[in-house]
Amino acid sequence: MRNDSDLQATGRWAGLRRSPQRMTGLTLVVVVAVFALVFPMTTSTGYLLSTGVVILNYALLATGWNFMGGFTGYISLGHAAYFGLGCYTTAILIDRVELSWWLALALTPVIVGLIAVPIGIAALRVRGASFVIVTIAFVLILLLVSQSWVSLTGGSTGIMIPRPFDGLTRVEHHRVFYYIFVAALVLALFVWWRIDRSRFGMGLKAVREDEDKARALGVPTFWAKLIAFVWSAVFTSLAGGLYALWFGDLDPVFQFSILMGAYMVLMALLGGVRELYGPVVGAIVVGLSIEFFKAEFGDTQFHLVATGLLLAVVVLFMPEGVIPAVRGLFTRFGPQASSIREETAEQLAARQDAVGATTPGSES
Amino acid sequence: MESEHLLELVDIEAGYGRAALVLRGLTVRVPPATIVCLVGPNGAGKSTVLKVASGMLVPRSGRVVVQGKDVAGDGPQQMLRHGLAHVLQGHSVFPEMTVAENIKLGGFTVGDKAVLNERIERVKTVFPIVAERWNDLAGLLSGGQQKQVEFARSLMISPKVVLLDEPSMGLDPKTTATVFEQVVRMRDHGTAVLLVEQNARRALETADVGCVLDLGRVHISGPARELLEDPELSRLYLGGRPAA
Repeated sequence: MRNDSDLQATGRWAGLRRSPQRMTGLTLVVVVAVFALVFPMTTSTGYLLSTGVVILNYALLATGWNFMGGFTGYISLGHAAYFGLGCYTTAILIDRVELSWWLALALTPVIVGLIAVPIGIAALRVRGASFVIVTIAFVLILLLVSQSWVSLTGGSTGIMIPRPFDGLTRVEHHRVFYYIFVAALVLALFVWWRIDRSRFGMGLKAVREDEDKARALGVPTFWAKLIAFVWSAVFTSLAGGLYALWFGDLDPVFQFSILMGAYMVLMALLGGVRELYGPVVGAIVVGLSIEFFKAEFGDTQFHLVATGLLLAVVVLFMPEGVIPAVRGLFTRFGPQASSIREETAEQLAARQDAVGATTPGSES
Repeated sequence: MESEHLLELVDIEAGYGRAALVLRGLTVRVPPATIVCLVGPNGAGKSTVLKVASGMLVPRSGRVVVQGKDVAGDGPQQMLRHGLAHVLQGHSVFPEMTVAENIKLGGFTVGDKAVLNERIERVKTVFPIVAERWNDLAGLLSGGQQKQVEFARSLMISPKVVLLDEPSMGLDPKTTATVFEQVVRMRDHGTAVLLVEQNARRALETADVGCVLDLGRVHISGPARELLEDPELSRLYLGGRPAA
């Protein structure tokens, strides 16, 4: 006799077999993953590799943001705070405390996660526009602190971090970090995926839909939001720590930039905040478009205008994000589901037995 | 001593913020497997009674007694654990979530997975629409179907008392009749119901006990049928039409 989990598993695989849309999606994910892993081995161009690292950094940042924005619907425009904190925590642990780079990197998400707890407790007392303003205020405070606390952060001059791997060429340096970023992104996506399928994730999604209703059903909304907030800070700071190690030179104006926070929101919205791979798709679109426009128009403010226009067009025509829009196209032009329910011979026999048992006079 | 009532709200005074009191010394008692209906004009404090009972609003004074234990001041989560399920006014399903997710959310406070699965099967039996539309987005269901999903969801904690806030709101007469049939069905399955309803006549026809609220306290209470047949009450609170 099969138990529930057998049935669920069977159903899951049966669904996969039946749904060409899901098969296409899975195939696409595998193709992109293989390409992403093979890409650094096929090029020795420093520019291409560094672009790949930047896009992966964006993807990790947007996925980190999506722990909060995607699950709870709380839009934080100030997530650059955790990126900056991640950068500076790693840098300070290496440069001032003289820890090894890997220990500094491992401690960074823990420290920033702990810092995020009181910030979350304060910020999550408000909703909507007030929450957005609180998050922005926090970035600006950290910018001022990082510029003023010269003995710790280096002030406006910033801070330099020695390269973690000695003896590597610039290309090799990019290649190594490319794979480290891939590993970090896979970890973030895995944690997001696990939460998405958990009871806790269901509670978070209920908060996103309607916080008061969720509370009435017994979802501990405040704690759920706080945990999501801390996870979000953890992965955003991990992206910051890795960026610090990769780039090696921190500038407070860039590290605590409102624009960086806005990019995170845009990337996640572009791809689709309810999708596992939404922020990754958004990061690829934004990262490539920024690089393309920089190449076309030079490093002027015009590339920002062109990027903004592109984003406006996508948001106008794909308000739910790229992934839901593409899925919608598949549904529209793909094979339509049959209204006739498929039944196995066993199910049919069981149903006929059940009908026979309840029909008056069937025993005779 | 074990109380004969599942839920008792005794001398409740409650209001919102610093505003004037909405409930002024209200007392309501809900016996087991009984539909107790609160009717009254707008602003009488009907929905506020349910908010106090579900822990969404802490009373300024008075007692909220569940099976003999005073739990006044407990929050929504604790109230769910005490067996009080609140079905909010209007459509309270999560439209962007599936019926399955909505139902499972009803059992959010139930830790034991086996118990949860058993209750899911039970509500599927009581409300067949749940089983039929299990994987559909709740927002795609009709108003009446959504209401049934809400009822089913409230049963996921195997509640002692279900607090129903205006279940017929926005529904056509036929669907309203179906919804009230489901309320009776819940009562017949052994669940007590504290019902707040604007459609007073329809609610009193369904309920076992009726309470007429006015200015934050119970003006009159008794068997629902008797209230329905009282011509004075009919004139004052039920639209003036004499009882059939």
